[in-house]
Amino acid sequence: MSEETIFELLHSAVVDYVVEDNTKVSEKTNKTDAKDEDLSKLEYIGFFAGYRMIERLTREMPRFKDELDTMKFICTDLWSAIYKKQIDNLRTNHLGVYVLQDNAFRFLTKLSNGKQYLDLAPRYVTFTCGVLRGCLANLGIESIVTAEIQTMPSCKFHIQVQRPC
Amino acid sequence: MTIHNIYIFNKNGNLLYYHEWNRIKQTGMTRDEEAKLMYGMLFSIKSFVNKISPTDPKEGFLYYKTSKYTLHYFETLTGLKFVLTTDNNAQLVRELLQQIYNQVYVEYVVKNPLISLSEPIESEIFKIKLDALIRQSSIFISKAA
Repeated sequence: MSEETIFELLHSAVVDYVVEDNTKVSEKTNKTDAKDEDLSKLEYIGFFAGYRMIERLTREMPRFKDELDTMKFICTDLWSAIYKKQIDNLRTNHLGVYVLQDNAFRFLTKLSNGKQYLDLAPRYVTFTCGVLRGCLANLGIESIVTAEIQTMPSCKFHIQVQRPC
Repeated sequence: MTIHNIYIFNKNGNLLYYHEWNRIKQTGMTRDEEAKLMYGMLFSIKSFVNKISPTDPKEGFLYYKTSKYTLHYFETLTGLKFVLTTDNNAQLVRELLQQIYNQVYVEYVVKNPLISLSEPIESEIFKIKLDALIRQSSIFISKAA
């Protein structure tokens, strides 16, 4: 019970707020195809949080050697700063795709430990996708970040680096 | 020693959760009716204890005991009520109730944004964690074992 709890509660309040806002809009426009929720606002909030946060975290860091080095920093330092733990598994195909796996993602551990509530789980990882994208953007890496959840509380973040061609 | 069953009520007297482990005799009425009856009795005992107490009742009603079983009652400052029935030899049930509140209810209900705090608890992880805590407690020794 402390700063972590208040962060968790604030996060879930933000999620609720965005989702509720969405349903109001879709009622007005009579859109009923609410299969995929529009969570772009959440992602956007995360992006700015990450963009600013990385500035503070890296102020005493040496330069990163390459992209992989940057990803390692994300998995260790950034993750411990936000979630008090490190990413459990980092994989890459060396072509700009990275998969970060967290076996007990903080926002999901209290929800379920299986398939229950799986349809609502994307709401609780979108903010973090934005944070990752924001961090990378400020470090000079353009990317697309998506999340994949098969069984909670484990979550995989896919980072696809956009290379100028 | 054994644990029979648990009721969790919210501050308005709605039954949030019920589970039984070693319950031999059923009342024969529906769960809803039974819960209402239980809540009504607890409410009456609570006010009775507070009125009749010859000194300042600090904690109020804690438990009652019959020849066969003991009913332990734990109310939080927010009005949440945990009721656990055990046999008469059970020790340290208050600590167990406190643990259920701190380690299971707060963690897996209060911190789960998908659960409404006034409706019956449907969360699987809550059920699993509560069951695990009860089964590992020293008070719980199943009849079969």
